[in-house]
Amino acid sequence: MRAIKGVLLVCDPAVKQILLSMNEKQSFIIEDLDDHHLVIKADEEYRVRRELETELEKNTYSLD
Amino acid sequence: MPSLLRQTEQDKKNTPHSLLPFLQSQSQNTLTRLYQRPSSCLSIFRLLAPLERQIVMNLLWLESAIAASTMAAWVQRDGRKLYEESLANLSYLHILPNSAAKLALNFTFKTSLRQALTGGGISGSFGVPAEKDDKQPGPDIEALDSFALERWETILHYMVSSGTGQNPTKPSQGVLFLLQRSELMNSFYGGPLQITSAGFQFLLHSPHAQLWDLLLQYLHLAEERQMDLVEVLGFLFMLSTMDLGREYSIENLSTTQKAMLEDLRDYGLIWQRRPNSRRFSPTRLGTTLTSSSPPLPTTTGVGSGPKEGFIVLETNYRVYAYTDNPLQTAVLNLFVSLKYRFPNLVVGMITRDSVKKALMNGITADQIISYLITHAHPQMRKNNPLLPVTVQDQIRLWELEKNRLKSSEGYLYTSFTSQADYELVLNYAKQLDVILWENTGKRCFFGSLEGHSRIKEFIERRTQNPNS
Repeated sequence: MRAIKGVLLVCDPAVKQILLSMNEKQSFIIEDLDDHHLVIKADEEYRVRRELETELEKNTYSLD
Repeated sequence: MPSLLRQTEQDKKNTPHSLLPFLQSQSQNTLTRLYQRPSSCLSIFRLLAPLERQIVMNLLWLESAIAASTMAAWVQRDGRKLYEESLANLSYLHILPNSAAKLALNFTFKTSLRQALTGGGISGSFGVPAEKDDKQPGPDIEALDSFALERWETILHYMVSSGTGQNPTKPSQGVLFLLQRSELMNSFYGGPLQITSAGFQFLLHSPHAQLWDLLLQYLHLAEERQMDLVEVLGFLFMLSTMDLGREYSIENLSTTQKAMLEDLRDYGLIWQRRPNSRRFSPTRLGTTLTSSSPPLPTTTGVGSGPKEGFIVLETNYRVYAYTDNPLQTAVLNLFVSLKYRFPNLVVGMITRDSVKKALMNGITADQIISYLITHAHPQMRKNNPLLPVTVQDQIRLWELEKNRLKSSEGYLYTSFTSQADYELVLNYAKQLDVILWENTGKRCFFGSLEGHSRIKEFIERRTQNPNS
């Protein structure tokens, strides 16, 4: 039996795919659980959130 | 504005007045002393929910207690729950002592409320009007209104423009202290005061709610300053029963209440010619404390906002706000990207960025929507639903977008040697209620951080003596 410390992310499948592709550049995923759940390294959470934010921001446009 | 009224009526029905929980938390002794003042009883009566008022009115003129079953016979089956809640609320306030058999109002409350309605009894509970002074006539209602408005908007304007680089007039030290205490504003590392997310939410409330929010903080503060709460509350209630435009003498006030005059002046609840004046006039902010009429004057003459709603929102996310009031414009600027400004009109757009900025500040989508509904222009009230559905939904979607990723720290338990082992640990974790995710096929589960030490202990116990 092993216990691994980490952060459980709950997200939708689309966000999960983005996270997987981010993981290829710089690995942070500990375990890929299922479509909605991932376990990542605890100290990477802030960076992952920030990068995801910029990634999602690319997919939106504003009228201004 | 019939529809507006209906809405505020409804709000009141659903949520009890914010002062009531505070009163309920007070000791019976404090409340009984408060109930000795007819003005306080009348004010509290006005704050009660309609059914509670009904019950009090029914019992008020009875000399002896009546059987609880007599009263309950009036209640239909589907009103049962509401009725019992009302009885419970009244008993928390010690107005109607909790009893299964007999119902009778608290004697002090009953006597005082009767006095309030019929007159007589100890004088001064409703304030003592000052002698008419022909040399210095008191201020007229218009002057009082503009004073109250100026004080109140100074406070709100100071809050809304903090951190924007503008330098609005500062409210007095007492007000600043109160804002900081109530965590509506905060200073980071000794810097200038910055509005907090609670403060942003505060700005979107109705003036009445805002006023009571601040006064509640004031009451908490009064407790810490060892001021007599009964005196403080009694004075606020007295103010709320006074006549607008009349001058009152300070002769009958206690020392505590005289000390309060300065604070109340800062909030704009009362007006005094000079700080050491022997008389004071309550403003509309003060006299409407416990009534349902609007606490701020609503004529355009004194430079306040328009009388009724002023916001038109179109399906293309455009916002037209018919206002010349800098405060209202500043509040709108919290979640609207403003485009043009005319003498009586501000035009802006609700955009993803502007809403996102508001969300970052801690304002919720529901608050934005309810602000738009409360201040919608009379023209908009012909629409059903009032706000364009597309815009409402979009604002909510933008909020959801912010929460696409939920995270929680913890431990992943995996590589169990046998299915029995897995189930044993899993069941234990289930008992602790710490499981965030589980998968029997993979034989692993994710537990929260709090549960880890106990699960670890459990496993260690098992490995030491596997048969226990």
